[in-house]
Parts: sequence; structure tokens; C-alpha cells
Amino acid sequence: MNILSNSQIGILPEDAQSEPTASLPDRSPAALLRSVFREERFFLILSVFIGVFSGLAVVCFRFAIDWCRIYLLGSGSTLSPTRLVLAPTLAGLIIAVLVIHVFPMARGSGVNQTKAALYIYNGHIPIRTAVGKFITAALAIGSGHSLGPEDPSLQIGASLASALGRRLRLSRDRMRLIAPVGAAAGLAAAFNAPISAVLFVIEEVIGRWTAGILGSVVLSAVSSVVVMRWFLGSESLFRIPPVQLERPSELIAYSILGVVGGLASVAFSSGIATLRPRFKALPRWTQYFQPGIAGLLIGLIAFLGAPQVMGAGYEYIDEAMHGRFTWQMLAILAGLKIVATLLSFVSGTPGGMFAPTLFIGAMLGAAVGGAEHVFLPHLSGSPGTYALVGMGVLFAGFLRAPMTSVFMVLEVSGNYSIIVPVIVANTFAYVISRRLQPMAIFDVLTRQDGLDLPSMEEQREEDILRVEDAMRPATSALLDAQEAVDHVFKRLDEKSPDVLLVRLNPTGWSSVTRKEIENMVKEGKGGLTLSSVLAGRQISFLHPDQPLDTALRYIDRWPLVPVVSRADYRTLEGVISQLDVLKRYRDFGEG
Amino acid sequence: MIGEQKGRALQLYLTREPVILAMLSALAVVFFLAVTGLSHLYHAQQESLANRWFNRGATDLKERRFESAVSDFRTALLYSRDNYSYQLNLAEALIGLKRTNEAFSYLINLWEREPENGFVNLDLARIAAQKGETEQALRYYHNAIYAAWPDDQQVERRDARLELVDFLLSINARAQAQAELLALAANLPNDPFQQTRVGDLFLRAQDYENALAEYRLSLKADHHNSAAVTAAGIAAFQLGRYALAQRYLQSAVATNPSDAQSAARLKTTELVLQMDPFQRQLSVAQRNLVVIEAFAAGGQRLKSCFGTAGSAGATSSGASSSLAESWAKMKRQITEPGLRRDPDLIEAAMELVFDIEHQTNTACGNPSDADTALLLIAKMHEGN
Repeated sequence: MNILSNSQIGILPEDAQSEPTASLPDRSPAALLRSVFREERFFLILSVFIGVFSGLAVVCFRFAIDWCRIYLLGSGSTLSPTRLVLAPTLAGLIIAVLVIHVFPMARGSGVNQTKAALYIYNGHIPIRTAVGKFITAALAIGSGHSLGPEDPSLQIGASLASALGRRLRLSRDRMRLIAPVGAAAGLAAAFNAPISAVLFVIEEVIGRWTAGILGSVVLSAVSSVVVMRWFLGSESLFRIPPVQLERPSELIAYSILGVVGGLASVAFSSGIATLRPRFKALPRWTQYFQPGIAGLLIGLIAFLGAPQVMGAGYEYIDEAMHGRFTWQMLAILAGLKIVATLLSFVSGTPGGMFAPTLFIGAMLGAAVGGAEHVFLPHLSGSPGTYALVGMGVLFAGFLRAPMTSVFMVLEVSGNYSIIVPVIVANTFAYVISRRLQPMAIFDVLTRQDGLDLPSMEEQREEDILRVEDAMRPATSALLDAQEAVDHVFKRLDEKSPDVLLVRLNPTGWSSVTRKEIENMVKEGKGGLTLSSVLAGRQISFLHPDQPLDTALRYIDRWPLVPVVSRADYRTLEGVISQLDVLKRYRDFGEG
Repeated sequence: MIGEQKGRALQLYLTREPVILAMLSALAVVFFLAVTGLSHLYHAQQESLANRWFNRGATDLKERRFESAVSDFRTALLYSRDNYSYQLNLAEALIGLKRTNEAFSYLINLWEREPENGFVNLDLARIAAQKGETEQALRYYHNAIYAAWPDDQQVERRDARLELVDFLLSINARAQAQAELLALAANLPNDPFQQTRVGDLFLRAQDYENALAEYRLSLKADHHNSAAVTAAGIAAFQLGRYALAQRYLQSAVATNPSDAQSAARLKTTELVLQMDPFQRQLSVAQRNLVVIEAFAAGGQRLKSCFGTAGSAGATSSGASSSLAESWAKMKRQITEPGLRRDPDLIEAAMELVFDIEHQTNTACGNPSDADTALLLIAKMHEGN
């Protein structure tokens, strides 16, 4: 895909003029339809349908989770002790059988499976995966396993989109992109937050911004959210109390939350990184019991006084935001939720980690805020503010999606005055997490599953070679287009380079070799000017800031390509040749 | 030939993309309808569960079982997350449990949604008042007074204002309380109970004139309102309208003989009426007699004070000896014939008596009934 405009790659208008005159546009009905249904436009329309279908699927998924919860755990907030222990245990046993025998792909992270579809399987995700995720995750979350509905929703969306793309026999490029488009739709509907979903998919799955992808992802996310809101209402996930930051000095308090959140993120991700392979390495027969035992232990935690750790736990995040718990209780809940989520996830129970991450972050945030209030009563932030910032902190530290983490908090709270505390705290958490746990959790899971998918974090931080890194100064004098060939020939000596650059009027560049000059003189063209003999031989030029990859497109066509200033195309900053580019790439690879 | 090609191309497109889109649209409609059916089932169940738990909560709240009410309302909110009334009831149950911070965070959310809601403003005002945040409390009370109330708007607004006055009096903001009471009294219905209630608040705000006016209005409608009679007696007493006070207090004591406070106040009132020489209806002889008795009482008070309050006497020895001298000097003239001869002595004698009462009251305290009456008479005539 050509992502650079003509002006970016230095093609001058003369080039366009030299092209054959385009014929008049075809206004026939077929041409009109063809223009409407050009593949990229058709893909955009298709994105809307993907959003609608994903939204409908996620709505049904939400119904299924709630029905499972009501019928398995009961409709009240005070749960019966028998159900607390039995429901997650028995559900775990059933889920194990389903995952082992019927839906083996339902296990694992939906984000990574979508990435695998994009980078390995040409966009292919079996529809069976969606069905499996739907059933097993609804059963797991509804019965109280400490997991969330967002990751399965993301995968359901991706899987539906993939099935649709296969059915419509889209091109390979479109097929690769269709899974992330569906993923964005699924996540947006689950979170009721389209901006965060779009950002997450761009940040963590696709890893690059282009207008084509962004348009499709946005359309699918928005249409899925519209569908979801149609059926489930437009309320945000939490009732956010008013947020305020009265004094800039309070940012220190949020920085402390960032540090604590960063450490908690490391503990959480280290736990998964350490325990998951060990659980997977246990004999195969134990896999029938792992989700059941995890369910039993979670049930016992609930039975012993912390039922809040069960399920996604959004209602308890809401209560924490409204100051229901003491800071000590909040800290305990954050710790227990880490344990419960570790148990659920490493045992192979299908479900996502977004909701538990938000839960842990909210509890930890409110706990840190509460503790700080004990020592510094003048702080103006309410428990809700700290809980909200805490959610962003864990999102940044654990999921390593710094941009999404900020926008997620803004979108969920609908309050932009919280942006500064969120950015400050998230930065601390992200930096600490990166320092102590170099590999992001999604990359850890990918490696554990034996896949080699590109790390978005590494991609983001990859050094990009630019033209200025490979160019060299122009050593020889430039030729002027008005100079006569004879005159140039006389100036040539032993030291003159083989290729000479010619500056054309008013702008533009061309090149000529020594050999060509000699031949022109021999052919009796010595009296002609360079501009007349080089007519139609304009060459492209580059700018110093362009990626070095761009240079690869020209250096095989011309032995020497001028690198000119963006401010004045006649000012030569340097020159670049094939040898220069290859040398720079070789040095970079060795370095 | 070209026309044939174009026709074929059109056919190709018509058999692909538009058909696909039409089929996808049809499929979307089918799924949409199916999910709508499921959604009806889902929402019906959610609504029924929400109602069930809310009704339980409402019963618990009514019976002041706040802990259960909180749990019930929380469960109801699980099924109807954004329900305004559920959140408001939850906040009220939390207030009942004295978990005001938690209640506040729910209420403030509700306030952001409906800043004109009377219940929310009143609850927020109560919480702010509890926390001692006067400015916030006043703001929310005023919001509540001018808020939209679902049922009897007048009554709710009046009650909110009464509560505000109560709060203002509790923080000793009497001027503000009086202003609110005047606004309240202007719109008060002809209800003896409410008039008495407002009268009481005027009394607490030390606005005796308006208090008496409210009690009189109340008594006009209900002559037998003993509380209003007693309070009217107090208001009249405080206003120095002792004849009126005597009437009310006599009636109060007759209705409730065990009311010791009213009886004591009545006694003082009667003494004031007996010992006040400036009453218009007195004959010269009676006035002279009253002055002689008052002068004697003043002398007695002077004597008893300096006889018993040694330290007090020491500190105010200069002033007291001057009073004693003046009293002794005047004593000979304060007789029936003396007063008859020189009526101006009445004024001078009573001035001295008032001075004696003031000085001894400061120095010795514990005035006798007669001394109290003389002090009240002094107060009554100070402005003249």
C-alpha cells in the first residue's frame, strides 16, 4: 500500500504532465457501481455490518452471563454459602470438559488469537471459537470465576468478522484486517467505550495507524456500541462521582498510586508468567480438574468473606468508588482478586483479564487514596477519583497499553479534569512495569503458546532509520541546467565523480554520467544546454526525515538520489545511493 | 460490443456486492428481531428482580432496618443500574446507618443528574450540616426550598425551610434564621399547628414580636392550644408586655398546674405588675406606696449584698458605698408625705433603686423575686 503522497516522495508536477492524458471518466452504471463498491469502500460498508453483528453477539453474551449468574449464584447480593462454593466448582468441571473436547480454541487470550489471525493465519479464526468462547466464558463468569467479559467479546467479534470475510472471499489483505475490525467491535460493545476499543486494537493488535484501517475499525466500533446501547442502554460501566484536582501538589499522591500500581502490575503479570506454564505442564488428566479446583478455591475465598472477588466485579468497583469500603478492606480485596484471577486464568478457564485488571486497579487506587487521606486529610480527591485513576494505572502497568489506559479512564468517567492525574500515575506505573517486567503480558502469553507474534511494545519503541542516517554530503559541484554540455565537459577531470547532479529550473533535479557527457560531445551536442538534453529525465528526490525504506524505491532506478531541504527543494542537503543504504542497514543490524 | 461488455459488468456487480449487502441487511434484521425477543425476556426478568428487591428495601427502610435496606437496594441496583429512585433510597438508608460519606457520593451523582431534585438537595443539606460545612448546607437547603417536589410542593418546601431555620438556629445565625422565618410566615396556611411551630422558631430566634403574632394567630383558630398559650406568655413576658403575659400565663397554669416554669414566670410577672410605679392606672397614693416598697427592697438588696458578698463588695466598694450613701441620704425623703410633696422624687428614687439592682446583680447575683421584678421594670423603662 502506497502510504506516501506525491509531494512526500518528491515527484514533481512535470512527472504528472509527462503521463499520457487520462481518458474521460466512465459514467456508465457499471462504472458507477464499481466505484461505489471498490474493495476499500465495500470494506468500510462491511465494517458497519461487522459492528452490528458483533454488537448483537455481545448483547447476547451479556444476557447469557447474567442469566448464568442468576441461575447459578442466585439473584440476591447476599449469596448462599452452598452456591458460593458449588457453582464455580461444578461450572469449572463442565468448562474443562467443553474446552478439552469441544472447543479447544476457546482457551487463551482473545487478543493474542486475533493477533495470530492477523499475522499468521491470514485472518482466519474458526467460528467454533466464537461459539466456544460464548458458552464457556458465560458459564465461567456467571458462576463466579474471576474473569471478565471483554476479552471473550473481542474474540467473538473477531471470529464473526473472520467468518464473514471468508464467506465473502475477501482479498488476503482485507482478510488479515478483518479480525481486528471485529475485535474492535466486540471490545467496544463490551466496554461501552468505542474510543478505547479503537485505540486498544490499534495499539495492541494492529500496531500501526493508517486511514484505511482506522476508518474500518472506527465504523465497526461505533456501530457495535450503537447496537449495544439500543438493547442495554447508554449508561457507562460505573457511576462516577465528581472528580476534582484542587491543588497541583496532589499529583504527588497520584504518583504514589502510580508506583504502587506499577508494583502490583508486576506482581500480577509475574504470577501469570510463572504459574501458567507450570499448570500447563501438569499431566493432561489434571486439566479436567484445574478449572474446577480454581472455582472451589475462589468459592472458598468468597465463603470466607470476600464474595466481591467473584465474576467481573463491576458492581463492587462502583461501590468502592462510592466509598463503601475502608482502605484496609480495599487493599485486601485487591490482593484477593489478584489471587482469584491468577487461579482462574492459569487453570485455563476461558475469560478475559480486562475486568479483573480494572477491579484490582480500582481497589488499589481507592486503598492508596484512603491511606493517603489518613495521613494527609487535606487531599481533595474522593475514593472515586483514586479508584478511577487506579483503573488506568493497572491498565497501563499490566496490559501495557498506555494510550488506551488514559482514554479508557476519560471515556468511562466522562470527565477531562482527571487527565493530568491519570497521565502522571499511568506513566509511573508503565515505567516501573517495563523496568521490572521487560516483556508485556500479551507477549509472555504468546511465547508460552509457542507463537512468534510481533510485540507491539517493541514495535512502538523500535528505532526507525531515516534518510539522514544514510546520506552523505554532496562532494562535487552541482551542475546548472543552463550550462552547455561543452562547458561541463571541459570542467571534468580525473577527480570528478561518475554521476553528476543537475539542478533544473524552477525546481527539480536530474542526473547525468560522465560517460553520457562524453558521448554528447562526440555526437556534436556540445553546444546544447543540459536542460535541453536532459528533458524528460527528471529524477525523484528525498528529504532527510523520510524513512530509509522510502529510499529503497528509488535507489535502483537512479545511481544517485538527491536529498533536499523541505523548505527549499533547490537546497541540496546530501546525496544517497544504493551502497549508502545497504551499508547503513548492515551497520544497524550489527549494532 | 462495448455496450454488451458494460451490460455484463453491470450484471456481475449486481450479482455480487449489492446482493451481498442486501443479504447482510436481511440477516441483520433477522438477528436484530431475534435479539429483541431475547432482550424483552431479559429486561422483564431484570425489572421484576429489581422491583422485588426495591420493595423489600423500601419496607426495610420504613421499618428502619437500614442494614437490610442497604443490601436490598444494592441488589435492586444490580438489575436497574441507573435507577434514580433506587439510588436515592440507598443513599437514605446509608444516612440511616450514618455512612454519610458513602451516601454523599451517591447523592452527589444524583444531584449532577437532577440538580433541581428536592429530596436530593435536602439529603445533601443534612449531610453538609452534619459535617459542619455551613456554606454547602445553606446552598443545598436553599436549593431544596426552591426545588421541584413530586407531591405536595408547598408542604415540602415549607418543611425544608423549617429545617433550614432549625439549622441556622443551631449555629447561632439568628439574623438569617429570622429572615427565613419571615419569608416562611408570609406564606403560612391557617394551620394552628404550623403557626405554633413557626412561633416556637421565632421564639428561639428571639424575635418575640413575631413569635407572639404567630401564637395569637394560632390561638385564634384553637383557643385551647396549651403549648401556644404558654409560649405566647413567654413571648409577651420577653417583650415586657406583662399584663398580656399575665393573662396567658394564668391560662397556662390553670390548664396545666404542674407547669412549674410557667408558674414561676407568672409569679415574676405579677410582681412586676405590682412593683412598677410607672403604670398609668395607679393612683398617686398607690404609686407612692409602690415606690416606697421598691425603695425598701433596693435598700434590703444593698444590705444583703454587701453583708454577704465580701469579695464582691471589695471589688466594687467605691460604687457600692456611693450607692449606700445615696440611698441613706434619700431614705428620709421617701415617705408618703415626702413623695406627695415632691413627685419628682419618684423618678429619682426609682433610678437609684434600678442602679442598686443592676450593681448588686452584677456583684452578687441570685436576686430575690422582688429584685428580679425590679430588674425587669428597670429594663422596661430604660429606653424611656
